[in-house]
Amino acid sequence: MSVRICVNTQTPLVRFSPDLAPDPGTRGPAVLSEMVEDRDYQFSPGGVTRMVYPLLRRMINEKFVSDPCWVSLSPTGPQEAVLDGIRLSHVKIGKNATRGYGRIKEELWKVIHGLKGGAGKDGQPFWKKDYADFTYYNRHSADRMARLDRDLDFDLFYIHDFQQLAVGHMLGSLKPKLFRWHIPFDASIVPEDWKPFLLTYFNSYDMVMVSCQRYLEALRRFGFKGAVKYVFPYIDKAAYGSPAKDDLDGFCAKFGIGDKDRVILVVARLDPMKGQDGAIKAFGRVVRDHPDAKLVLAGNGSFSSSKDGIGLSKAERWKDELLRLVRELGVQDRVVFTGHISHRELEAAYTRCDMTLLPSHLEGFGLVVIEGWLYGKPAIVSSGAGVADIIVEGENGFLFDPGDTEGLAEKVRGLLEDPETAARLGRGGHHSSEKCSLEEGLKRESEVLGALMGNR
Amino acid sequence: MQYQEFIYPAIKFVVIILITWLVAWLFNLVFVGWYKIGMSLIRLHVQRVATIVIWTVGLILAIEQFGLDINLLLLLIGILGVGAILAARDVLQNLAAKYFSDVYIPFKMGDTIRIREHSGKVIEINPVATVLLTEKDELISIPNSLFIKEATVNITPQAWKEIIIPIAFSGHAEVPEFETRVIRAINKFKLHMDERFPPVMTVKKREQNYFEAVLTLMIKDPSRKDEITSKINNIITEVSAELKGKHHKKD
Repeated sequence: MSVRICVNTQTPLVRFSPDLAPDPGTRGPAVLSEMVEDRDYQFSPGGVTRMVYPLLRRMINEKFVSDPCWVSLSPTGPQEAVLDGIRLSHVKIGKNATRGYGRIKEELWKVIHGLKGGAGKDGQPFWKKDYADFTYYNRHSADRMARLDRDLDFDLFYIHDFQQLAVGHMLGSLKPKLFRWHIPFDASIVPEDWKPFLLTYFNSYDMVMVSCQRYLEALRRFGFKGAVKYVFPYIDKAAYGSPAKDDLDGFCAKFGIGDKDRVILVVARLDPMKGQDGAIKAFGRVVRDHPDAKLVLAGNGSFSSSKDGIGLSKAERWKDELLRLVRELGVQDRVVFTGHISHRELEAAYTRCDMTLLPSHLEGFGLVVIEGWLYGKPAIVSSGAGVADIIVEGENGFLFDPGDTEGLAEKVRGLLEDPETAARLGRGGHHSSEKCSLEEGLKRESEVLGALMGNR
Repeated sequence: MQYQEFIYPAIKFVVIILITWLVAWLFNLVFVGWYKIGMSLIRLHVQRVATIVIWTVGLILAIEQFGLDINLLLLLIGILGVGAILAARDVLQNLAAKYFSDVYIPFKMGDTIRIREHSGKVIEINPVATVLLTEKDELISIPNSLFIKEATVNITPQAWKEIIIPIAFSGHAEVPEFETRVIRAINKFKLHMDERFPPVMTVKKREQNYFEAVLTLMIKDPSRKDEITSKINNIITEVSAELKGKHHKKD
């Protein structure tokens, strides 16, 4: 049986160059294989698209799905495009509506991450003027999916990420609807006031999928009584190769990494929640004893931060704060901000580093740890990350509590001073990475989709 | 002579049947074109009944041409009609109840309700029955007529705060545009609303130039339900008129 599926994410699979003319609407969808990557378009960074794209490709190859559609927000480029048998349908809502939508999304994100309380003096965002824009985008996505459904008769809708939670209700279809919640869910920090909103919309799905057991339990504690499963996020191992020597040397030269430097790598978008400040503070302590240590912070803004995306500027503001902190600690020559790096450079970064560090205060999962494991690198992981659920202390990594600067510094020192332990954790991590392989994800996702289809 | 006595009524019979067919065809054509908007189920029933009436009258007139006593025929048709109405009375009751319960019985899709010994989440409201999903994953079909005979308890949390405003819009406007304008316009009532609940519009029916929806809001003071409902209804009427005007200008 082949499933006709419609996927919905906010972030588009690819970002088009703003110089690219919008399609005239008469020639049919733009064919990405006829365009030039990095000139006409770029693959969007970020966990969601990086998971969904290989999953869909593999599902097409295994004939589990046929002719999938992928609806997302894309302010630039053509409305319809095709890549690898996937029909990409882009929703466009105009700059002002995009910004209003982005502001409400940011508020929701803060509440779910415990950065904003309940109905305080600001009130809930639902009765702010921007909420109309938030609804506008979600309704447009639901409308597009419904319209495509009339032509293509999908078997199932698969909606991703918290900012699109309302889409399931808006779709109104009786066909199976699956929602994947990618960010953390901690029932103790989501204010009670938010229950009506979240539960109303969660209840409009046939099943909710979260990234780990603890979020599943939290969702239950929060009062959600519907079907919920957890499936670890996953990556396609085949997409991570060994860089050529020239690429490795080029990477080191570009970012000033010397042969004797001992590299601590943080791969994360620039966002206060990612805890780069904690990593810098801990590094400030480590570097006193290990002057050869170098902290490499890879990543820039997300689709939400980019000017061609939603246009929120928090990445730039956060980078300014981090630079000030680096200056205060006097470690300017030992901390590198790479900004956005290509996939080839990312491979070089993982190959060259001595360890990876995930310092997030809260993190939906943390696939960067799995990426590091593919290269046999030991990981030090914040207990606020979903991936902490698969860390066995001292076997495949070290855990630390976010905010515990000295605890983190101690773990970093431990790995720098004990290469044997570092190698053992790297091997343990490499073995554990199987839990987050595309093959495992495909198996678990197929079971969920199959169960949803079978229930009908 | 005998031949002529038969041939003329036969020709008349055929002509009357042809005219009947033409009238029925024209009626359907005009009816479908004229009555594009509306509940498709009711439209279908009206269309069917009218077609049956046209054909019945046509057939009676046609049979009369052979000099047959039509009184007996009329009596038979009458008895059959009364029988059909009696047989379908339950269905008709349910259809009528659906019409009234939409407006007057305070529950909607997704609510949890209790009626008699049954309780569950409302997952479908069709013209004949309301389908509940119980906690044991059983489906219970409740005839709509029961909702106007029996006490219905809406056990959805906070249901007493809820105001549900039906919306029907015919015109070119897209739902997202309509919804956004309504949400912006009702923002001035935010002080009367329970801010924990967002305004939720649920589209119930959609055609190319028509949609039906309900707007669900949670108010702080239920004693002001009627007043606020009336004001929001006015806003919806204004938004509808604006959008119709805007699209007329475009056209």
